[in-house]
Amino acid sequence: MSLVSVQGLSVTFPSEKGPVAAVRNVSFDLKPGEILGIVGESGSGKSVTCRALLGLLPRRATIGGRMIYDGRDLSGPAEIQAVRGREISMIFQNPASHLDPLMTIGDHVAEPLRFHFGLSAAEARAEALKLLESVRIRDAASRMDAWPHQLSGGMKQRVLIASALACKPRLLLADEPTTALDVTVQAGILQLLRDLNRESGLTMALVSHDLGVIAEICDRVIVMRGGEVIESGPVRDVVTNPQHEYTRLLIGAQPGRLPQMAEPQEAPAGLVDLKDVAVHFPTRSGGGIVRAVDGVNLSVRKGECFGIVGESGSGKSTVARTIVRLITPTGGRVMFEGKSVADLSGADLTAYRRAVQMVFQSPFDSLNPRMTAQQTIAEPIWRHGLASKSAAMERALELMDMVELPRSFATRRPRALSGGQCQRVGIARALALSPRLLIADEVTSALDVTVQAQILRLLTRLRKEHDLTVIYISHDLTVVRKFCDRVAVFQGGRLVETGATADLFASPSTEYTRDLIAAAPDMDQAMAERA
Amino acid sequence: MNSISFIGRRLLQIVPVLIGISLVSFFLIMMIPGDPVRMVLGPRATEEAVTAMRQEWGLDRPIWAQYLSYIGNTLTGDLGQSLKFRIPVLDLVLQYLPRTLFLVAYVLVIALPATILMAVIAARNEGRWPDQLIRVISILGMTIPVFWLGVLFARYFGVKLGWFPVSGYGDGFVEHLHHLFLPAVSTSLWLAPLLTRNLRAALIEQTEADYVAASRAKGLPEGYIFRRHILRNSVLPTLNLLGVMIAFLIGGSVVVEIVYAVPGLGALMVGSVLGRDYFVIQGLTLVYAIATVAITLAIDIFTAAIDPRTSE
Repeated sequence: MSLVSVQGLSVTFPSEKGPVAAVRNVSFDLKPGEILGIVGESGSGKSVTCRALLGLLPRRATIGGRMIYDGRDLSGPAEIQAVRGREISMIFQNPASHLDPLMTIGDHVAEPLRFHFGLSAAEARAEALKLLESVRIRDAASRMDAWPHQLSGGMKQRVLIASALACKPRLLLADEPTTALDVTVQAGILQLLRDLNRESGLTMALVSHDLGVIAEICDRVIVMRGGEVIESGPVRDVVTNPQHEYTRLLIGAQPGRLPQMAEPQEAPAGLVDLKDVAVHFPTRSGGGIVRAVDGVNLSVRKGECFGIVGESGSGKSTVARTIVRLITPTGGRVMFEGKSVADLSGADLTAYRRAVQMVFQSPFDSLNPRMTAQQTIAEPIWRHGLASKSAAMERALELMDMVELPRSFATRRPRALSGGQCQRVGIARALALSPRLLIADEVTSALDVTVQAQILRLLTRLRKEHDLTVIYISHDLTVVRKFCDRVAVFQGGRLVETGATADLFASPSTEYTRDLIAAAPDMDQAMAERA
Repeated sequence: MNSISFIGRRLLQIVPVLIGISLVSFFLIMMIPGDPVRMVLGPRATEEAVTAMRQEWGLDRPIWAQYLSYIGNTLTGDLGQSLKFRIPVLDLVLQYLPRTLFLVAYVLVIALPATILMAVIAARNEGRWPDQLIRVISILGMTIPVFWLGVLFARYFGVKLGWFPVSGYGDGFVEHLHHLFLPAVSTSLWLAPLLTRNLRAALIEQTEADYVAASRAKGLPEGYIFRRHILRNSVLPTLNLLGVMIAFLIGGSVVVEIVYAVPGLGALMVGSVLGRDYFVIQGLTLVYAIATVAITLAIDIFTAAIDPRTSE
């Protein structure tokens, strides 16, 4: 007897061009006590499916098919409201925005208890404290009256889990619960979910784009694409013997399965040298200082791909911004080909700006929405006076060929391009000035894995063809392992260790690096460990 | 503890603002073309009389010394003499100020409940007829000029029906309420729609917020989610607009005070400008500026009380 049975679910949204089907004929069952993974890329309908179960879709959505929970038909708002919180609960991707900023965390957890069980304020508070302790919030008693903004991302997700589980629901829907978190924090949350499943038999549906995460804790998985379920089965079977072509593509694009793209060379000359670089900011309330980056010494060699990894707040982006001179270091020096970058001015500075280009994390936000792809790519060329405007536009088309964007996309604006296509425009724009050094700051973290694989392949090709030096900043160790020749690990603004990628991963010399490597979800490793 | 240090920090920030205000109101008089002494004594005064008066008023001293004594006088409550009424400016302001404050408070008592009611109804029925109706009423309220409405109300309810007096302020609280009813209503008819539109937009935006979905997933009732989560988060932006509007009302009550002949600050300001009563203008400038600062401070403290993020 299954706990949940979804039969022929379809969700349609109205649009200017007629109805758009977000979910088509989706059916699956959830057995009590199992963890079902729902995996798919953006737009696959995995979140919409989850939300439909709890009636969280906007009013304009049309829902078809049947959803049966424990013999009850969830056909209308009243039926859904009867199970929300009590029987089925949900946690979400971005814990920060899913907590009311004007409510203390204790109240967040106590709230459903008062409504569903009619507890008094004091009883609910006592129970909330126990719940916060059960999701392993340290020093929970003193955190009861804290506000959401005073907690870290991982702590917020724990609060969200505690408040979702307050009334002991039997089913938890988890919509990308660890995507916005650092890897070490993600590992902790996944461990918590696994324990909840084992200790109290909590049934779970885990939505994720990351097969590594799914492989770590799920029993069964359904693979979605374009609103449809294209494959389902036990995780082991799907991973080791995928039936559908798309599933194979998805598995092949897992960072761990990517071919080795790094090819370390014999120590060539240094291109960029950081000497005891420090960046300190005054704190907002004045008085103290924030050491965003402190005492960093590193050297990036000509022609190599240098990886910088670290969790949020580790200072990796600050280092990048310091190198391109968007930030002036408060201490130490940045050297480019032996010259101090801080001393450059006039023509030398312009030349430096051309030689060092950057590609940014958010593919949409880093493009001007009013400019076409061709205009965006051409702009730096004629702005720098390297060619006339018409010649620059011509050159932009060549650059589009280079990043494998069809020329027919030349007149499209960012809104009409996908995330991966926008990122190609961003890369073409950076290459327009024929730079020597390309800094890629989390350029694939907003992209789907299959697109990530394409972008990485593209960067590898460009690197060889144009003799580029690349600084690749990422939180994803598995990608860095495949893509970079050497790696630097950052933590709390300091350089923890640096070395050749293969050596560093084989024998990390600090505990932090070891933790990071262990926490990085990897599909194959997870499968091996579960065997 | 935290909130006390927040208020303390906020008060410290006001000091430079106050110094700026005093400089502006001081130089306001300096920038008036012509010699104030000659203006007082008339064009036919003798050179000796002018010199004597300059010395008596201290105008022969250096400018920083004049500024310092201006500050000293202001701090001790001496804003100078009204040239027209021949009484201290402070007395004059204190005589007119309560009426304007009463009017502003009256407007708020009418406009705020109406705003919350209309905005909540509109937001909860987004796109349906109650929302459309409130939108039409709002646009009418904002576009009809206050002075036109004032004249219309005064003629109809005041003269024709005789329900309300058309001028003055009355004696005692009840009479104030009676006298100021039409002015307060005509101002509210403009203020409430403005605030309603702002609050409605905030409510609709917050209804889409992620924490609302999370609250629904917990099975909380819609009415509770609206009151406890959505409304609280929506009030903050409107509160800031309200602060600006109250400051504007104190200074901008001119029109309605003239139309309804309410002897308030606005009426005093117009009279002083027309009568070139410079010290009153200077005093009023100071009062308006300080009132704006005080209201902004009050709104900030109020916001900090609701939103824990602001006081850190």
